[in-house]
Amino acid sequence: MTSETETAKRFNFNTVSAVIFIALGVALFLVIPHQIDKPLINLGGAGQSHLDAEAFPQMVAGIFVLLGAWYLFVSFSLREHNELRKLDLEAITNVIVTLAIMAAYVWLMLFLGFVAGSAIMIFTMSTYFGNRNFVLGALVSIAVPLVVFVLFTKPLVTSLPPFPVDELIPESWIIYEPLKYLSNKSIF
Amino acid sequence: MFEAFLAGFSILFNPETVFMTFLLMAAGLFLGMFVGALPGFTTLMALAILLPISFFIHPLLGIPFLLGVYKGGIYGGSIPAILVSMPGTGAAVATTFDGPALTKKGQARKALEIALFASVTGDLTSDIVTIALIGPIAAVALLMGPPELCAVLFMSLIVIAGTSSGVFVKGLLMLAVGLFLGMIGQDPIGALSRFSFGIAEIEAGIPLLPMLIGLFALPEIFVSIEKKASQIIQAKDLKVSGARLTWAEFRSCGRTIARSTGIGTLIGVIPGVGQVVAAFMGYAAAKSASKTPEKFGTGELEGVAAAEAANNAVNGPTLVPLLTLGIPGDNLTVILVGAFIAHGLRPGPQLMEQQGPLVFAILIAMVLANILFIFIGYLCIPMFAKVVTVRKSLLLPLTLIFAFAGTWVFRSNPYDLAILVIFGAFGYMARKLHFNVTPLAMGFILGPPMEYAFGQTVTLAQGAIFNYIVFERPIAAVFVAATPIITYLIWRRSVRLRQQFGTTD
Repeated sequence: MTSETETAKRFNFNTVSAVIFIALGVALFLVIPHQIDKPLINLGGAGQSHLDAEAFPQMVAGIFVLLGAWYLFVSFSLREHNELRKLDLEAITNVIVTLAIMAAYVWLMLFLGFVAGSAIMIFTMSTYFGNRNFVLGALVSIAVPLVVFVLFTKPLVTSLPPFPVDELIPESWIIYEPLKYLSNKSIF
Repeated sequence: MFEAFLAGFSILFNPETVFMTFLLMAAGLFLGMFVGALPGFTTLMALAILLPISFFIHPLLGIPFLLGVYKGGIYGGSIPAILVSMPGTGAAVATTFDGPALTKKGQARKALEIALFASVTGDLTSDIVTIALIGPIAAVALLMGPPELCAVLFMSLIVIAGTSSGVFVKGLLMLAVGLFLGMIGQDPIGALSRFSFGIAEIEAGIPLLPMLIGLFALPEIFVSIEKKASQIIQAKDLKVSGARLTWAEFRSCGRTIARSTGIGTLIGVIPGVGQVVAAFMGYAAAKSASKTPEKFGTGELEGVAAAEAANNAVNGPTLVPLLTLGIPGDNLTVILVGAFIAHGLRPGPQLMEQQGPLVFAILIAMVLANILFIFIGYLCIPMFAKVVTVRKSLLLPLTLIFAFAGTWVFRSNPYDLAILVIFGAFGYMARKLHFNVTPLAMGFILGPPMEYAFGQTVTLAQGAIFNYIVFERPIAAVFVAATPIITYLIWRRSVRLRQQFGTTD
């Protein structure tokens, strides 16, 4: 037996994933009675000729267990590598920083508004990822969120967290008109 | 259907709107080519983040806009593939076999032009075939009742899940995850609450848009930021140099383009195969049919034409199973399903019956988009060549704000942003563990209609489902019988490939 095959036969991330899928299937079976509402009335005693709301979830739970068992069996012969383990420190740091920036961005967007929140996010992220032209970075950070904000809120008449620029942008500009026309679904 | 086709013309050429339709298609093509030309930025990501824009405009404007992004993105990937041997999209990998060699010979302009003309020819021809096919297939699809629909959906899901992932069972498991996520909310028959776990925000189900953007756009961003952006490509490397393509050279590639268009069109109709396979098959077929196959790989115009005609010829025909049966053939068409559903147009047999003229108007617009395609592509080739050097450090956060803004405008609900990030992180981990999320999205979208059709079948069968299917619904019985055979064949292929290459991922 070659060392490669020995490596392949050992317990690997696919084995762990398979066990998780089986556990998910079993958990699904267990929660079905508690997580699916019962009908208030039995429609005409439909019984056998009516698909119960629990039937499809039970099938899917069964599929998880069966496929999970198959996957478990197959996993010992798979030679795939766990790419998460291959990530170096730089990659892990960058992904974590980006996730943190995303979380902060949600908060900033809700409390400072879309334009200010986005401007801070773009400037921070672009600087972290290597942009050293700060003037360009600042310009892009302010201009792009403003354009996106105007596009979505004025002509397309949707909503983005407004503060602090909403008051400053005119409600009606001639340049909105062609785009407003697009969002008017009654034109057809 | 012919009346619907004619009505489609009058809807499309409504003088009040026709200009805007074409303007938006041009914008879509431009954006698609721009993103496609950026190595590391895929057409899928562009479609996912631009999807919300299409929600707030009429489908005749929004869907052609997305189709423009789709077409432009597939072509745009060939630009860095030819100039710097970095395929902008997976579909352009086969273009790197001959494109960079042509650039080294000082024939970059010829290579880019043959890529454009082959792409447009493949796309245009396959779009016309799409319109010709869609009517008859939709007419047959209309004869299908719930048992047939359920059987077709089930078979398609298995095919897509089985072919999308290197390891067969992993594709099926992702499909099961999608089916489970699709069950969250209300059951499609009795509207009973399921798996909401007391969270009010998901009482009506997981919203499709944040999930799609999260699954398909954010993982691309995470992969791109693994290494900090570095300007490895110098602007001087991107000179679009050399003589222009001559008519004689284009004509000499005619047979290759026609063959690749045929291959791409056929592949497009089959769910789960896609542009990458089409490009490789088109290239291989051109090489084996050539009198000088040894020249392939050393800078042969036919090599570029073969790959590009084949990958673009896939675009239109992927809409055939989507619009007639409601089956998205690949991850790009999953995004298009999102656009259709957002407009209250659920792809499937009923769509052609209820909205035939509108669907044909969109398809005719798609055919005419090729005229814009050739103009924008031809005029902007030098500019798109420079796009390769645009700083990733600035583009990545901009992509992020589009993803977040697009998610927010859907319901103005902060929970949607959480769903976006959760599915983004899930999609990234899935990719790193060799799971393909396309079957998940398919299961999520097609699970509820399949359950509904299954429920109707159970009711129609009055408890004797086996007898009902076998004796009263022979077409459904054929699909049911064919499913295990097809499943076995896909599984055998998957095992064979795994034995050959260790893994097909």
